[in-house]
Amino acid sequence: MKFGSIPSGLAIAGLALAGFASAALAEDKVVNVYNWSDYIDESILEDFEAETGIKVRYDVFDSNELLETKMLAGGSGYDVVVPTGTFLSRQIEAGAFQKLDKSKLPHMGNMWDAIAARTAPYDPDNAYSINYMWGTTGIGYNVGKVKEVLGEDAPTDSLSLIFDPANAEKLAECGIHVLDAPTEIIPAALKYLGEDPNSHDPDVIAKTEDVLMALRPHVQKFHSSEYINALANGDICVAFGWSGDILQARDRAAEADNGVEVAYAIPSEGALMWFDQMAIPTDAPNPEYAHMFLDYIMRAYVMAKASNYVYYANGNKASQGLLEADVIGDPAIYPSAETLENLYSVTAYPPKVNRKVTRLWTKVKTGQ
Amino acid sequence: MTPPFAPWADPDAKPLIEIRNVTKRFGAFEAVRDLSLAIHEREFFAILGPSGCGKTTLMRMLAGFETPSEGEILLDGQDLSPIPPAKRPVNMMFQSYALFPHLTVEKNIAFGLKREGTPKAEIAERVTDIMRLVQLTDFARRKPDQLSGGQRQRVALARALVKRPRLLLLDEPLGALDKKLRQETQFELMGIQETLGTTFVIVTHDQEEAMTVSSRIAVMRAGELAQVATPTDLYERPDTRFVADFIGEVTILDGIVTAASRGGVGLSVMEGAPDLRIITPHTPPAGTQAWLALRPEKVSISRERPADADNALAGKVLDIAYLGNISTYHVALPDGSIIKAQESNRQRADRRGITWEDPVWVAWEEDAGVLLLA
Amino acid sequence: MTRTLGSRILVALPYLWLLVLFLAPFLIVLKISLSDLAVSRPPYTPHLDLTAGWAGIKAFFAALDFENYTFLAEDSLYINAYLSSLKIAGISTLITLLIGYSIAYALARAPRRWRPTLVMLVILPFWTSFLIRVYAWIGILKTEGLLNQALLSIGLIAEPLTIMNTNTAVYIGIVYSYLPFMILPIYATLEKMDESLLEAAADLGSSRLAAFFLVTLPLSMPGIVAGCFLVFIPAIGEFVIPDLLGGSNTLMIGKTLWVEFFNNRDWPLASAVAILLLLLLIVPIVLFQRQQMKQEIGT
Repeated sequence: MKFGSIPSGLAIAGLALAGFASAALAEDKVVNVYNWSDYIDESILEDFEAETGIKVRYDVFDSNELLETKMLAGGSGYDVVVPTGTFLSRQIEAGAFQKLDKSKLPHMGNMWDAIAARTAPYDPDNAYSINYMWGTTGIGYNVGKVKEVLGEDAPTDSLSLIFDPANAEKLAECGIHVLDAPTEIIPAALKYLGEDPNSHDPDVIAKTEDVLMALRPHVQKFHSSEYINALANGDICVAFGWSGDILQARDRAAEADNGVEVAYAIPSEGALMWFDQMAIPTDAPNPEYAHMFLDYIMRAYVMAKASNYVYYANGNKASQGLLEADVIGDPAIYPSAETLENLYSVTAYPPKVNRKVTRLWTKVKTGQ
Repeated sequence: MTPPFAPWADPDAKPLIEIRNVTKRFGAFEAVRDLSLAIHEREFFAILGPSGCGKTTLMRMLAGFETPSEGEILLDGQDLSPIPPAKRPVNMMFQSYALFPHLTVEKNIAFGLKREGTPKAEIAERVTDIMRLVQLTDFARRKPDQLSGGQRQRVALARALVKRPRLLLLDEPLGALDKKLRQETQFELMGIQETLGTTFVIVTHDQEEAMTVSSRIAVMRAGELAQVATPTDLYERPDTRFVADFIGEVTILDGIVTAASRGGVGLSVMEGAPDLRIITPHTPPAGTQAWLALRPEKVSISRERPADADNALAGKVLDIAYLGNISTYHVALPDGSIIKAQESNRQRADRRGITWEDPVWVAWEEDAGVLLLA
Repeated sequence: MTRTLGSRILVALPYLWLLVLFLAPFLIVLKISLSDLAVSRPPYTPHLDLTAGWAGIKAFFAALDFENYTFLAEDSLYINAYLSSLKIAGISTLITLLIGYSIAYALARAPRRWRPTLVMLVILPFWTSFLIRVYAWIGILKTEGLLNQALLSIGLIAEPLTIMNTNTAVYIGIVYSYLPFMILPIYATLEKMDESLLEAAADLGSSRLAAFFLVTLPLSMPGIVAGCFLVFIPAIGEFVIPDLLGGSNTLMIGKTLWVEFFNNRDWPLASAVAILLLLLLIVPIVLFQRQQMKQEIGT
């Protein structure tokens, strides 16, 4: 989800194919990996192939929903996939993943217990998955423009920046984008209302309708990726989005030197903390190699290399000493212990509740 | 007894249609060249000619689908050129019939009347009448694709006639029918024309059809009129070799006029043979090149020279075409030219004496042939 | 009696085709639409358990119900999405008909030697990916796109028009994408029309306009009907165009279906929407065919 242009994922896959086709053909040792786009340092794949002689066939996706459709339909042909925690738990329940054989994962001890505790609601004891990266959902904003519209004391570190219609109305002039992801926005709205963000009670969830419908007319677009460029170009002034994407927008604006200053804030009310977990599908063709891949990823220097490249925090304690200062030292990537306390996680909605949630979201998006 | 119908012979009669010096060009091509023609009320007038002679162009100018490049067309003395097809008191029966496939027989026929704004009751009455006339009453609710060729032809006729046009144009009206049906329909067409008294102009390339139905025939050739005459005159007294050849079977012998005598001329056609005697109103000077047109049925054939024949030539039977009721003999003359002679088969063919390669005489009367100067 | 196996297979082939590629998938979708959403693979229940024998089959059928259809009926979203799709498809079809008829008419009246080239030009866009052509419209219609730039530069407008992400953009996209499907059948009927019919109409007293409405139009009706169906039916279920060109206010059943399936992973509900969509499309088609049959028998 960070760095590089979209085709880089394809380029990696291409490289892998070109470089190791002959070896792979000879021995037919392949591990099929399905990860988010722009989410890895390609040299990690090359190193793995060089060390193990197993060819990595690497495909990318850009939405949990798409991944889940493939997982629930079955027969995807992948050995390693990377769903986000909430989706992971439901897919585990559906029987989409196989239990990890910890005896084949000697580097398990490198993992960070604090993150394991946070992911326990989705996958207790990491029975099915290991953490790859984690991040938060918060507010990205154009520092200059927000000040211009709302004044010096604009509540940029509060959910009221967008959920208070008085602010949203003013910010609508310069543009608001919101993630098209009900499982991220509804918990935030609940938090803003002082409710449990992880509530699965339809009546409680229904309370967010007023807040979201009040926000709706001021939102230029509900979309999960366009805000990166829009924010970087100064086309919009506020985006409710994922930390890494917003940091990417910050970097793009800085590179372009276009006078746009983007900042990311974790709302003081608290923010959603999400976890992208690596897991092995039940029907993975090569579970043996999948375990080898997972164990390789858990090596401290490999994980550090990945985080240094994508600028996301990882769940590997041992890697922290090898992280660069601008990663481990950035509170937007590794929040302070105090902020960390304030982060919350959510669990997957049961099917019938999920139907109500998506219906509510359709109403928010279409007005119908 | 009423006098025969021949308004064209009356210098005081006013023609219905007058075509005056009409020329029609398509680019550089002259389809019709400086053509003048008068057609009278109640005539059944045929325009006859080979394809490409300009007959269809002439008809389309009458209908209004083409405008003359030069000259004018008058109807009742009034210039037709500014009047579009929709407003002319002229209707056309198309070669393809051009029936509206989405409308029933009844509605096809009523189409023109509806366009005129004729009251409904009157439309119904006129359509019923015309359908009775052309024997289509039982097919009123059928669509064109559920009719036979002959029925379609009658719908096309009825549709054009029901508007009571001053002039009805028929473009190869029977061309799509088989021969037997065509002959029946020819008589039906004549009956209808006589009943209604409408002026018909028919365009055809079929000389037999033109001969059967029409009061007069205009023979066209390369955009010009070759001859305009009654069918009898055209057959018996063609003006030119083209007309003589185009209408019916004919033998044409060319020769040199030798002498005029007894209201006729002598024609030398072959060295060593006696001059042929021909009765003719023309008086060409001796030495003129001229042609004798002989209809085969006027030529007799025999083994011996008939004693009382005005003209007789010796030859050899080259071919015999047995046509059932008659046989046509192709007799080669010593100079190689061929004369056709026709005999009716009153006897069985096998009992007739003359056969291939037999030396024979062909003979005809002095008034049997026509002397042509062109 | 002595039919060979080969000829039997040949006769059975179309039926087999329908069975395998239409009926079987339809029944599967129908079954899913009667199932319940579940956290499982695939994400619905019940699954037919043949090992349990007759009891398994009975339990399977007992678990099916119409709950999803009740849900659809109770929520105005789906009926609104369907009505909105009907409206968008209907208006698009009408616009496509007007434009398509004019183009088909011009093609049919063009000099004979040009016609193959002109028809080629109509088909030419098919040689490019449909998606790319729709993306190209984004470039044309967006606020800073080609259309606005052109209109601004000639001074026709002072402010850029907002076309992108509106229903107008959806109409433009549908009309553009489906135009060839309208032109070709109409052209086919117009092209084979005997021109002497128009002369006959003129001869019988019709103006050119009257001849068009009384002869040309009725005779091109089969082409018009075919063209309208070819545009209307896929337009109702259209997903790509409203997704790429439409805004969040653009409500279409195809998009709703996509969201139910991919975003909500609600296979049973998505299947119910799909079944209803199919039924609602079959009704007009059956009505149309029955009317055609009646016309043929009636005359």
